[in-house]
Amino acid sequence: MMIELTSTPIIIMVILGIAGMIIPVINVVRKERGSSTFYGLIAFGALLLSLGYVIYRFYTDSVADAAIFSSDVLVDDGFGSFFAIAMLIVSIMVVAGSFNYMRKRSNPAIYFSLILLSSIGMVLIAFSTDLVMLFVAWELMSIPTYILAGYNKKDPSSNEAAIKYFLFGALSSGIIIYGISLAYGITGSTNIGDVIYGFSNLSPDMLPLGLLAIGMFIAGFGFKMGLVPFHMWLPDTYEGAPTPITALLAAGTKKAGFAAALRVVIMGAAALNLDWTLALGVIAIMTMTIGNVAAIMQKNLTRMLAYSSIGHAGYILIGISLAPFSGLGLQASLFHILNHAVMKGAAFIAVAGIVTTLAVTHIDKIKGLGRKMPITAFGLVISLLALAGVPPLNGFWSKLMLFGSAIDATSVVWWAPWLAIAGVLNSALSLAYYGWIIRKMYFEGETEKRVKEPASIVGVMIFSVIFMVTIGVYPEPIIQFVEMITPSISTAMP
Amino acid sequence: MAYDFFGIPVSEINVWLIWILPFAAAMIIPAVGKFSKLSTGRVAVAFAAMSAISAATLFPMALEAHEIHHQIMWIDAIGLKAGVLADPLSIIMANVVGWISFLIICYSTGYMKGDKDITRFWFWMMFFIGSMQLIILSDNLLQVFFGWEGVGLASYALISFWYHDKKKDHVGQEGRSALGIMEYFSPTHAGMKAFIMTKVGDVMMLSGMLLLFMFAGTFGFRELVADTAWAVEMSAQGLLVPAFILLFGGAMGKSAQFPLNEWLLEAMTGPTAVSALIHAATMVKAGVFLVARIGPIVFALAAAGILADQFFEIIAWVGAITALLLATQGMVNPEIKKVLAYSTGSQIGYMMMALGVAGLSQQYVDGYTAGFFHLISHAMFKASLFMAAGSLLHAVGSRFMTDMGGLKKQMKKTYAFMWAAGLGLMGAPFITTGFWSKDAIFAAVYESDSSWGLPLFLIAVLTAVITAFYTTRMIGMVFFGKNSKHIEKMESEGHHIHEAPKSMWIPYGILAVLTIGIGLIGLSAEEGIHHLFGEYLEHSFGIHVSHYGGEDSVLPGFLSGLNPVALGASLVAFATGFGLGYIFYIRRWVDPVKFVNSNIFFYSMHKLFLNRWYLNAFVYWGFVVAPLWMARGIWRYFERTAIDTGMNIGFEKAVGWSARVVQGTQTGVSQSYLYIFGAGLLFIVLILLL
Repeated sequence: MMIELTSTPIIIMVILGIAGMIIPVINVVRKERGSSTFYGLIAFGALLLSLGYVIYRFYTDSVADAAIFSSDVLVDDGFGSFFAIAMLIVSIMVVAGSFNYMRKRSNPAIYFSLILLSSIGMVLIAFSTDLVMLFVAWELMSIPTYILAGYNKKDPSSNEAAIKYFLFGALSSGIIIYGISLAYGITGSTNIGDVIYGFSNLSPDMLPLGLLAIGMFIAGFGFKMGLVPFHMWLPDTYEGAPTPITALLAAGTKKAGFAAALRVVIMGAAALNLDWTLALGVIAIMTMTIGNVAAIMQKNLTRMLAYSSIGHAGYILIGISLAPFSGLGLQASLFHILNHAVMKGAAFIAVAGIVTTLAVTHIDKIKGLGRKMPITAFGLVISLLALAGVPPLNGFWSKLMLFGSAIDATSVVWWAPWLAIAGVLNSALSLAYYGWIIRKMYFEGETEKRVKEPASIVGVMIFSVIFMVTIGVYPEPIIQFVEMITPSISTAMP
Repeated sequence: MAYDFFGIPVSEINVWLIWILPFAAAMIIPAVGKFSKLSTGRVAVAFAAMSAISAATLFPMALEAHEIHHQIMWIDAIGLKAGVLADPLSIIMANVVGWISFLIICYSTGYMKGDKDITRFWFWMMFFIGSMQLIILSDNLLQVFFGWEGVGLASYALISFWYHDKKKDHVGQEGRSALGIMEYFSPTHAGMKAFIMTKVGDVMMLSGMLLLFMFAGTFGFRELVADTAWAVEMSAQGLLVPAFILLFGGAMGKSAQFPLNEWLLEAMTGPTAVSALIHAATMVKAGVFLVARIGPIVFALAAAGILADQFFEIIAWVGAITALLLATQGMVNPEIKKVLAYSTGSQIGYMMMALGVAGLSQQYVDGYTAGFFHLISHAMFKASLFMAAGSLLHAVGSRFMTDMGGLKKQMKKTYAFMWAAGLGLMGAPFITTGFWSKDAIFAAVYESDSSWGLPLFLIAVLTAVITAFYTTRMIGMVFFGKNSKHIEKMESEGHHIHEAPKSMWIPYGILAVLTIGIGLIGLSAEEGIHHLFGEYLEHSFGIHVSHYGGEDSVLPGFLSGLNPVALGASLVAFATGFGLGYIFYIRRWVDPVKFVNSNIFFYSMHKLFLNRWYLNAFVYWGFVVAPLWMARGIWRYFERTAIDTGMNIGFEKAVGWSARVVQGTQTGVSQSYLYIFGAGLLFIVLILLL
């Protein structure tokens, strides 16, 4: 049975696919060199249209309830819609933030086209219910970003970023394929539902193979999520890649990693046994601690934010590792995924604005930025405070839910409160370097003159500040949304 | 007729608008100020008017004892709702605050003309009004607390508005000190003092709120009444009265009640329009309003057999002590604004006394009405007096009454209006609102069944004598006698004293006329409110009202329904106070300075009052000087050794070291990265398999 033609993934694929193909064609056909803004606007429009379609489908109740399984390769459910919304918002922010960045650079058509193609991949991952489909979407998302990371081809650090990223991407793709083949070998199917059903009825002597497959998936997806110890490529790549692309990697593809992990790992592992939760808990603590500790000594803004995003992967993992024990866990993780997409996206776009205007990323060079670029600096401050979890911003609520879920699960697993303690300590630690940036921008430096801020980046800043403050003051609608689309693990088990 | 707007009836939207509009104005004003500073005032006036009109449209509903309660979900995870509650209490209060604020805003356009920081001024004024309306219209304590803190913040910003601390903006006499504590304050110091002292109350209020929430699981006023299981539980654990007294602590701070009264005097460093707003509409009335909000909830518990008499006793006594304490100090102070400030604290004490006594008597509604009616009449005449005082300050350029004198010919309008409003404060019989409301308080105190009734009544009457005296003194010193040396010097330098501009005298004129106008029909106005609140209390709280008083009156027709003892006491108090003032300050038959110095008793009393009963000095010694000593000791002997050298350096070293270790792994060499990746994979597989 084929999936309906009007379903969300299909339509998004069509919209973004056509836009993504047509941009390079226009570029070839037009005689004069096209302006970057024109291509950017096409991409922007296509993404906005897709976002509108997802929301429309969701609000007309055309999508299924959060389903984990389906006999198809794609499922049109609330869970996928949630990730689609988060990732499309990020793509829109990245495209808007790139208008000014790409103005004086070569090949803008290809650049925007690649972002669109990568977005298709991200969205499809969220809707996949078949391992092969998932893998195809994964590659569709990854390959354009390899190119985008190396987009400044004359810049050695951009090249290095792309090479490292590609090396690890290839390795992890191989590992994922290995996991898929193991799963197929054991259960005879690539449909995620069938695989998990097979896992839960596994004969004991096959159990280690099943666990091996899960381990492969954790490692393979963990590369995108930036989990320690699969994070090594991440700071180098984020630093070297064009800054808007860093935003795409940190806020977008990283979330796709979580989407894939949620589709496969949680359910699969739950079917085998629950020991894996401890493994994820250990990884969560390692990830957040190493990310934050390393961030403290960084002198480069992009690199600092890169480490901070490693730290945040750790927070998100708290909820995931506790998913079987606390109903709040998975909701909290999803909420934080959405929040982090916007917060980190905004922070990187702000840095992209600084790079575009002043061509600096060193922390000593941003002294007095509060006067030089007031709107960008303000947007950066709000996103940093939101990342640190300062109320009344959106980050506060999702962190509260995350740590709350850890407290909640205390009666079930003994190590749960340690996750909350580690999370709180790390949040406090993270304020040290966020505060450092804020101090440099506002309390140091002589009286600088104001410079002209890129209009599109100002737009992104205004949108994200409104988003962060509104959700911070009135989180209820998003929390309800998250509750609605969170699959319940106990009922979803086959 | 119900018009709808997105499914919400217009009247409900109106309730929200009352407090949202001033906030909206505060947000717009800085943007407007970029283009035209003059327009900021117009925006403020327009928004204040719209907010007041929104409040006025609800008035008919209040008269029918009808209410609007509209809620939206705020944070579902912990069951918090945001909402507005427009019942007769809050509608009347919102109108008083809305309209008086509007008049003060109009007045400010004249008073603050030409100030270069005018945008900041309007921003905070509107923020102030919005916060106050939020307190009034909220349907739950948490939301009240948001407004509460907003009011505190705005008062801090406005009291220290002239933050350059110029000499003319200080209060107190330079060089004066009591017990070694300077009695001379700069605007920034005063703002800080107000902020910190009210914060003491705020912390108490917050803990009381949370205590209630712990048992009741809700902050909502209506929810607290609907189900009283929480009260049974709390009173069983002996926490009911403490929780409500903690809540009252917040009211003590905001309303400057003893012992948190000292900030109010220094709050006079702000522009006079701010003082008027603080004293008449937006700040000190918040405390009274809070007591009026929670009082019936506590009283209604009596029906469930839970008595909380101590709560009401404490309110009544705090009010009585404050009333007397501050009135005595008002008699001797030479600064006109400070006299008015003392008088505010003292009058608020009256309101608290009435609200407290209400809970001790069978007829809750009597004291409740009296306190609230006094709040309304006080708001009118005190706003008028403050604005008039601002005109005087403008004209004379000095805050001391000794620098004024003989102004009745030069400033005829201000003279007339100040008499009218001043008579209200004195409680001049039969023609002023102040008389009726004060008389109602006397009656409520006298008729209460409490054993404290008599002492409270005597304090109230004594305070009334003093009030009439210091008000007469103020008017006498300012308008009668000869021009002071200061004025003569000004005149000789060519600065002629002239009447305030129209934008200034019209607002306080209106309020002064209202004080007399409503005073003429005062008795029926009071009965109206009495009736309204009677129904309100019965309907919303189930507090039963048995009679409407005074069937067996011995008084002539138009006074029927009044308590003869209270009425007599009012008349005697007014006559005594006014008579003494007349002798000393208007006719000036006796020189007050000579009189005080003639007798060791009067001399020491005068000194005690002038030094504020040494309370301010105690506060500073106990809570400023002593903690500073302690802090220095801790800093020297503990912080510099244990924390600075031990912890700080140690912690910094540890973090730096671990960061370097982590960075050390980040070699930039892909081979080592891949090696770690592989090791990680192995680690995970091992964990899973073992």
